[in-house]
Amino acid sequence: MARTKFQVEVLTPEGEVFKDEVEMVSTRTAVGSIGILANHTPILCMLDPAELRLYKSDSEVVHFAQAEGYMQMSGTHALILVEEAVPPGDLDVAELRERLSEAERAADRAGEDTEKQRVAQRNKQRLEAFLRIAGSE
Amino acid sequence: MASQRDVRNRIASVKNIQKITRAMEMVAAARLRRAEQRIEALRPYAGAIRRMTREAAQAAGSVPRLPILVEHDNVGTVGLLLIAGDRGLAGAFNSQIVRAGVAAGREHDGEGRSPVYLASGRRPASSLSFRGLEPAQSFVGFSDRPAYADARRIAETLIAAYVDGEVDQVEVFYNGYISPISQVVRREVLLPLQQATVLEDGDDDQAEQEETGQRALVEYEPEPEEILQRLVPDYVEISIYRALLESTASEHGARMTAMRNASENAGEIIEDLTLEMNRARQAEITQEIMEVVAGAEGLA
Repeated sequence: MARTKFQVEVLTPEGEVFKDEVEMVSTRTAVGSIGILANHTPILCMLDPAELRLYKSDSEVVHFAQAEGYMQMSGTHALILVEEAVPPGDLDVAELRERLSEAERAADRAGEDTEKQRVAQRNKQRLEAFLRIAGSE
Repeated sequence: MASQRDVRNRIASVKNIQKITRAMEMVAAARLRRAEQRIEALRPYAGAIRRMTREAAQAAGSVPRLPILVEHDNVGTVGLLLIAGDRGLAGAFNSQIVRAGVAAGREHDGEGRSPVYLASGRRPASSLSFRGLEPAQSFVGFSDRPAYADARRIAETLIAAYVDGEVDQVEVFYNGYISPISQVVRREVLLPLQQATVLEDGDDDQAEQEETGQRALVEYEPEPEEILQRLVPDYVEISIYRALLESTASEHGARMTAMRNASENAGEIIEDLTLEMNRARQAEITQEIMEVVAGAEGLA
């Protein structure tokens, strides 16, 4: 079934990666999975590393591995700001594994309840999410 | 006087050097353009983050007192982050950063604060070690094309050091990019982050005006206070990313200028040597004529 389309823009610090009309956006916020359709209530949410899916139609879906970010929906327009947005095909599993074990080591080394430990945990979370996406390809 | 052959060899080698410096100049020019585009590409993202922060701060009523916004009572240790390049042959680009950073370190030392050095780029890292000021941490291998992830890594390290109390202030030194031929050493205090920086008015007031009416209706997920806890540290990442990008553009600009000067100098040397070679050839011919004339005279 064709749904109403709305404008979505995905921005990263390295430039714009997507700008088009879509029927639905699906990703993960700090609270849980979220799907956004046209005319959604204005919302500002914080995104966790996850697979960002942009449904141009039921059959045409654009995927990204997305790092931490934010999404702002204002009726007819969604703005997605993410630190990284990588097409799943560009993920390097070997490199991700290596960085993940590095982050795990850093988390073990860091003392309890230090900022260092929280940083390492965040990195671990992001890398694990990216690896899951790479694995499902 | 050098023989013709010696001079010819020297001309050949100077010409080879000139070829290399010309090629390096062109490569630097191409990379400079890309680096300029990347500075441009950051602008919309940074602007949108700033706008969201302002909106979330308004919804929350105030910016929460995050550890990175709180000044430490006693500044005993100062972290100095020196951002420069991985490679040399770029004029004063690397050395002026090291000089400014070391001078600032001495200044802090004189006032009873101990400096801790951090380096981004192989050059400042090795210059610091050479001076016996071993950097606490070096970030290398990306000065040609820094990614946001590189900036995030540096920001995380600095924020963790600040929040965990290993340093009480962080300053950053980098080459600010003004134009391909002009770069200026910038010195900025990165941490503690100034609340004024976070809420400073950008050039996007227009957009904010339009959305004023609906602000009350905006849903936040999670609460705006929690979103701010992540938005605010993003400023540190963005500041470092911008410094890395400007430094990269400056590096290519400085290298382009240095290589253009080198090519011009090589051209001058080639001219001088060609003149010298012509003189040597003329002298040899004159010598030969003298010898023939003298021989003829001797027979007569």
